[in-house]
Amino acid sequence: MTAVIQVELPSGDELAIIRRRFGRGGPGVPRVAIVAGIRGDAPEGIRVAHQVARALEAIEDRLTGVVDVYPCANPLGAHQGTRVWPFFDVDLNRRFPGKESGHQPDRVAHALYSDIRGAVQVIELRGAREAFSEVIHAQVRERDTAAAEFAMGANVALVWARKPGPAATQTFAHQFPGTIVLEGGTGNRLNAEVGKDLEEGVIHLLSQVGVLAEKDLPFHWAAMSRPVVVNDAQVFRVRAERSGLFLPEFTVWSEVEKGATLGHVIDPEDGAVMETILSPTTGRVMAVREHPVVYSGTMVARVVTL
Amino acid sequence: MSVVFSIDAPYRGQYELHRLTYGSGGPSVAIVAGLHGNELNGIHAVNMLNKMLRVQRPKGTVHLFPLVNTFGADQATKRWPYDDQDINHAFPGDPDGSVVQRIAHALFESTDAELCIDVHSGAPHVRELPQVRAPMGGEELELARAMKLPVVWRRPGIRLEPTGLIGAWRAAGRKALHVVGGRGITLDNRHATTMANGLANLLGHLGISANMDSPMETAGDVTHADVDAHRASCGGFFVAEVRVGDMVKPGHLLGYIQSPIGGERLDEIRAARTGVVMTIRAYPMIHAQELLVRVAATP
Repeated sequence: MTAVIQVELPSGDELAIIRRRFGRGGPGVPRVAIVAGIRGDAPEGIRVAHQVARALEAIEDRLTGVVDVYPCANPLGAHQGTRVWPFFDVDLNRRFPGKESGHQPDRVAHALYSDIRGAVQVIELRGAREAFSEVIHAQVRERDTAAAEFAMGANVALVWARKPGPAATQTFAHQFPGTIVLEGGTGNRLNAEVGKDLEEGVIHLLSQVGVLAEKDLPFHWAAMSRPVVVNDAQVFRVRAERSGLFLPEFTVWSEVEKGATLGHVIDPEDGAVMETILSPTTGRVMAVREHPVVYSGTMVARVVTL
Repeated sequence: MSVVFSIDAPYRGQYELHRLTYGSGGPSVAIVAGLHGNELNGIHAVNMLNKMLRVQRPKGTVHLFPLVNTFGADQATKRWPYDDQDINHAFPGDPDGSVVQRIAHALFESTDAELCIDVHSGAPHVRELPQVRAPMGGEELELARAMKLPVVWRRPGIRLEPTGLIGAWRAAGRKALHVVGGRGITLDNRHATTMANGLANLLGHLGISANMDSPMETAGDVTHADVDAHRASCGGFFVAEVRVGDMVKPGHLLGYIQSPIGGERLDEIRAARTGVVMTIRAYPMIHAQELLVRVAATP
């Protein structure tokens, strides 16, 4: 166990960003980096990183490359369950590649970036976004067909090839071409099934990138999910048009027909139905809002057409 | 006063974006404050300017938005409290997007003026001498200087992120200035008054209003190279020995870091040049390498 960077807190306490290295390095030996907890409200990713590390402990002698696991990049946020880096109030996932002489989160971003640079494959583990439940899926950059192909082995339901947003250049994933982001579960919560699926997906990916032979997988690869690759045009954001309380009538990954009722927005005072929200397409529900308070424009679901 | 955008708010009435408009025709200026709900000095400054404008007949148009993020201000939060999103990261906005994107869109569309000014306080843990942040040259710099605020800071990359208000204004071809003074969470009447006078000076310079000039003088007209940023050598408890606006010479004690438990002195911070103190860390618990004091060179 190595501290990539150790930062002092004003009270004298110290925080360490931990790296656990499995396998032996050397010239030409491939290295994979697995990073979790960039946001403190995604405990699922942190749990999966630890599960993967435990599995690697048992098979370390069979690794043909190096696997670096960074179980938590934002430990202070994880301590408090907050998305942002506390006190500085900044989203670590908007600070990359960081600064060597900047404030604490910038230095952490820089240390992580410097330590990971040169890895043949980077895998970022997240949970679901706050207030949502999401199907297990991988995200890769739009037009990165190699990453999309690779992510097919991640034991996910879906591979989403996304167009980068306006702030993409400052994200962790953007720093390392080909990065695969794995998400799923419920925001700021753990879900054992999701954790197991993602753990197996990550270990299977290690066999695809050449640091672990397929025969040495601790489970049979044929049990993996076979995902489909979708692009932004296939993913529909469904938004509430009235402000109130959103009550969903479906669950994640259920099939829906175009025009089917996804849920209702009710008046928060008298409970009267103000809006019925319909599916814009035939497909499956990728994400459901789990916190009922919505404004006009709040996303309540994502539906993907397959 | 007009409401340029409103949206129903669950469990409360409505969110409304208010605009106060004076005069008509050109030149046109839009002044925005309270994009961050906990930055009160800008809100107070724009309201002071509003009182000055009430007794004027402007030759041109002035749009004032004294408080954009009313819900954040209610709860002393920088961001929009419902989903903790920064409105200043949502520009140019989207009329069909999330609530923050809708507010950003409405604000962006309703600030369609030749010159746009975004007025802020410092962060809650930092106190800033009233200053205008401007590009390195051109007409915007000339306008920034006309405010006569204590500091004009020419910065090459100032808020050019396309999702920030300043960046979005510039991308749309509008001239844009960023005014900052005091600290978040608290109201500093002195700094807010200075900022209001700076805005009034600018309107006078543009010929929009008359008899609003304040006898102010810029102490530091600086680029990045003219600003000393003193950072903490270690974590601890920072005690400032100067106030923003103080003039210092090389060797002047700016402050010291002591142990938070026991008070043992760990380091001293001394000025390296002659200048004006433009930034001071206000919240004393500090991490290593955090900014403690900025000194801007004076002539």
